[in-house]
Amino acid sequence: MKRHLVPTLAAAAALALLTACGGGSPEPAADGRQTIKLALWNYATTPEFKAIIDGFEQANPGIDVQPVDILADDYAEKVTTMLAGGDSTDVLTMKNVIDYSRFGTRGQLVPLTDEAKKLDPAKYSGLDAYDLDGKYFALPYRQDFWVLYYNKALLEQAGVAESKLHNLSWDGYAELAKSLTKGSGGGKVYGAYQHTWRSVVQATAAAQTGSDLLGGDYGFFKDQYKLTLDLQQHGALMPWATASSQKVTYNTMFSTGKAVLMPMGTWYASTLLADTKAGKTKVEWGVAPLPQRATDGKVTTFGSPTAFAVNKNSKNADAAKKFVEWAASEAGATAVAQAGVTPALQSQKILDTYFALPGVPQDEVAKKAFKPDQVALEMPVSDKSSDVDQLLTEEHELVMTGEKSLDDGVAEMSKRVKNEVG
Amino acid sequence: MTATLPAPARPRRGRSSTWVGWSFILPNFVGFAALTLVPVIASLALSFLDWDSYSSPRWVGLENFDRMIHNETFWTALKNTTYYAVGHVPLTLCAALGFAVLLNQRLRAVQFFRTALFFPYITSLVAVAVVWNMLLSPEVGPVNQFLRAIGIDSPPGWTTSTTWAMPAVILASVWRDLGYYMILYLAGLQTIPAELYEAAQVDGASGWQRFRHITVPSLRPTTFFVLIMLTISSFKVFDLVQVMTEGGPGRSTLVLSQVIFREGITQGRFGYSSAVSMALFVIVLTITVVQFRWQRRSER
Repeated sequence: MKRHLVPTLAAAAALALLTACGGGSPEPAADGRQTIKLALWNYATTPEFKAIIDGFEQANPGIDVQPVDILADDYAEKVTTMLAGGDSTDVLTMKNVIDYSRFGTRGQLVPLTDEAKKLDPAKYSGLDAYDLDGKYFALPYRQDFWVLYYNKALLEQAGVAESKLHNLSWDGYAELAKSLTKGSGGGKVYGAYQHTWRSVVQATAAAQTGSDLLGGDYGFFKDQYKLTLDLQQHGALMPWATASSQKVTYNTMFSTGKAVLMPMGTWYASTLLADTKAGKTKVEWGVAPLPQRATDGKVTTFGSPTAFAVNKNSKNADAAKKFVEWAASEAGATAVAQAGVTPALQSQKILDTYFALPGVPQDEVAKKAFKPDQVALEMPVSDKSSDVDQLLTEEHELVMTGEKSLDDGVAEMSKRVKNEVG
Repeated sequence: MTATLPAPARPRRGRSSTWVGWSFILPNFVGFAALTLVPVIASLALSFLDWDSYSSPRWVGLENFDRMIHNETFWTALKNTTYYAVGHVPLTLCAALGFAVLLNQRLRAVQFFRTALFFPYITSLVAVAVVWNMLLSPEVGPVNQFLRAIGIDSPPGWTTSTTWAMPAVILASVWRDLGYYMILYLAGLQTIPAELYEAAQVDGASGWQRFRHITVPSLRPTTFFVLIMLTISSFKVFDLVQVMTEGGPGRSTLVLSQVIFREGITQGRFGYSSAVSMALFVIVLTITVVQFRWQRRSER
């Protein structure tokens, strides 16, 4: 560290001198303004990006932020390719922690350990996900976790009180889903909709049983799978095979009233808020805590933080760092909350900002949902994560389509993780 | 300038014509060398390295290949790729030939049908995959509704069943590719002299006999070309599988190109990914060489 100090200082001094002389350095434009590029996804439909950019530009009038918009589905691959090609986009959004660990361990990101140490880990529940052997390469600005969305009108029609969702167990959820299922054919209303992702079953099980998704022993999946398969068999859930082959979107299922209950991440609330505002949907929605194994009043859910990182190839690293720090700060968190998204920084003030938004459910059930007692990481960060993720996804498909029995599927997961990854 | 140069009495044939020849292929060759040859050689070198596209590569010798032959996923993908090729090649070939012969006749609206059959080939693949997925959807897809209507109680789950996913992919790919190969066959059919058919007709040969003894042998060069192209494209299949099933359910439609893509682009293990692509290269090369040998022997 010390060895680099002198040249770094010298370089910084030279740079300061050049800048002072009036733009000898190539970075700032003629009028002294600097532009940093920010890689993000679906700019038009992801409101917090604009909120952060606007807020940051206001706080730092000398820096312009230029979004580099990438399709959400292609984001990870696109960024990987960009980095492999030596692209110099300054700030990169870390869509999930698995990608983050890949970029971080490969040395493609600027270390932000000092900046991360300044943050209070008690307030940033997602922060430790970015700890790679004591080093940090990104700062979280947003933390999503899973809750249970419900259609208020349909629940009322069925005569179920909303307070019933305050402290719901998975068994209660299953019972409710079966009783709420109505109709058939095109007009069928499913009691619940569980999206095709493996996390709906697997990460829930891991978080609520306190088990390790990378451990290679997956017996703890069984209860959650049994429940899901049983609901599917009863017709209370859309069959996984149909949802997958039709590429059904969870938004369509919920916002058009085709499902009453839906476990989903908090990011969906911002979509619902925006769509309601734009008149795209008229669904009356509420939020409840994710159902639990035990009804002791404690809420354990899972989620994943989203972070900004600085590209190693960035030519404006200082301005980029400023941006990353601002987004993680209280000012950034306020901007994120005002956009209807749950920020990484959690405090009563931020929560109040969130609940003050028009359209956000105000009742006690919702307040409990947005304050879970424990948020486990959706997928632990390790160099094995993406391999295990791939493998668990493959076996999840087989179990959900009934191509493999639950016991065989779980046994195969354990076997393959031990043989192929371990 | 040119006027001052003494004109050569007689162009020396050997060297100058070589240069002229080179200059003709140069524009194409430069593109090929820069965009294909160099990457292929680089990939060969990479297969002996451990490289994540960012840090400096490390020499690992045959480690990548050793990992490959002990990797169950590689063998699954190789088996699936072969399955796909064995289904896709003969079916597309027969369908393309059949439609070409049918549409080579003077029929009303023949142009319309030729265009219609060529359409899938130029349609966006993503759209094609989405439509096929909807057609083959197990519960609500028209295909299974039809099958139920004619009395089949439990029709296949198509892309959601490990048994039927590959046939579904093959079906979609035959539908997509046959138009292109049909055009090649149509071109081949135009070159067969009409006298041969007239002579056969005079001798009293039936339609089938004419097809069997004139059309098929005359089309041999075309068939050979189609066979080679189909085989290569079958082993390289990626796009259709990626958008239709993503290799699933489970690994039932995972093909070699997907393994290469996942290992290289997604996981950043370019060394291992290159080793798999080398294996694919050797497989395709071997099959092509065998086909060439077989063609030469049957020409004798």
